[in-house]
Amino acid sequence: MMSDLASRSVGVRVWDPLVRLTHWGIALAVLINGVLLRDGDIAHIWIGYGALALLLLRLFWGLIGTESARFSAFPPSLGGALAHVRSLIAGRHIRHRSHNPLGALMVYALWATLLIVAATGVLMQSDPFPQETHQERYEHVEQEWGGESEAGEAIEEVHEAAANLLLLLAALHVIGAFAESRLSGQNLIAAMITGRRS
Amino acid sequence: MTFERVGAKRWQVRILAAVLATQALAAVFFMADVSRDLQWGGLTAHSGLEALVAVALVVGTMFGAVQMRRMLQQLRYAETGILAASGAFFEFIEAQFRDWRLTPAETDVALLTLKGLDISEIAAVRGAAEGTVRAQLASVYGKARVSNRGQFVSLFIEDLLQRPPVVTDGGKPNRGTA
Repeated sequence: MMSDLASRSVGVRVWDPLVRLTHWGIALAVLINGVLLRDGDIAHIWIGYGALALLLLRLFWGLIGTESARFSAFPPSLGGALAHVRSLIAGRHIRHRSHNPLGALMVYALWATLLIVAATGVLMQSDPFPQETHQERYEHVEQEWGGESEAGEAIEEVHEAAANLLLLLAALHVIGAFAESRLSGQNLIAAMITGRRS
Repeated sequence: MTFERVGAKRWQVRILAAVLATQALAAVFFMADVSRDLQWGGLTAHSGLEALVAVALVVGTMFGAVQMRRMLQQLRYAETGILAASGAFFEFIEAQFRDWRLTPAETDVALLTLKGLDISEIAAVRGAAEGTVRAQLASVYGKARVSNRGQFVSLFIEDLLQRPPVVTDGGKPNRGTA
C-alpha cells in the first residue's frame, strides 16, 4: 500500500486551475498595463479593473482553496526565507508543497504592491465606463476645482511609483523562478503552466 | 470514479475556473459602477437594484469557489487512489466528514486512517511531521466523538454492514439449517 501511494505521488498536482488562471491573467495584465499601455487610456482602466478582480478572486481562494493555494501553506516568514537561502547556498534542497519560503515573501510583496496600484488606479478614475479619457476627465476636474487637486496629484504619483515597483518585483520574481528551477532540478515554470510538479 | 469520469470532471473544473474568473470580473465592474452611482446620484431604485445585483454576484462567486474546492478534492481522491471505495460509500464518508466540519488536512488524515495507514505512513504520504499527523488525528477523533482508531473505523463499518444476522438463544448466529 505504501509503495502504491508513494509511486502515485510522482507528478503531483500542485497548482489548481484557479491558481494558474489568476496567475497568468494578472501577469498578462501587469505586462500590458505596465509596458504597453502606460498612458492610462480606457483599455488600461479596463485591464486594471480586470487584474483587481482576479487578485480578489485569488485572495478569497487563499482562504478556502486547495491546500497548496491557501495562505496557511505559505505563511510569510523572514526566518524561513533566510533558512531557505542558507540551504540553497549549502547546496541542499528541501521540497515544499506550495511556494518556497523565499518565493512566498515575493508573492505577498507582489500582491500588496498590486493592491496599492489597483486602489490608486480606482481612485484616479473611479468610473469603469468612462465617457471621456482620463486626461479629459482630469482637465474637467481641474477646471471645476480651479487648479490642480493636490490629493489627485499625490495619488497619481503613488500609482506610478507602485507600478514601477511592481514591474521590478515581477522581474525579480521571474529571475527567482528560473534560478530556483535550476538549483532544485524541478521546473517551476512548467508547474505553473501544467499544474503538475515532478 | 472511472477514468472517463475523472477526465470529464477535470474539464468541468477548468470551465468552472473560467466562469468564476468571469464572475469576479463582472462583480468588480458592477461594484465600481454602483459605488459611482451612489456617490453621484444617491440611493435610487436604479442604483439600489444594481447594488443588489453586485452583492449577489459576489456571493455567487464565493459559493462557486466553495463548489470548485469540493470538486477538486473529489478529483484528487479519485486520482491518487486514496479512496477506492464505491461511489455511494464515498459519498456517505464525505457527508459524515462535512458534518463533523473536518478541515481539508484532517479529511486527508481521516481517509488515510480508514484505508489502514498508521501515523508514520500517513506522515510520509503527506510529507508532514508525525506529531502534526498525531494532533490532526486526535482532532478528528474528538470531532467524531470516538477515542481510538477501532471505534472510528467501526462507525463506518456499522453502516456498511447494516443489521447483523438474527441471534438465536444459543448466542450463535442463525445461518439457516436446511
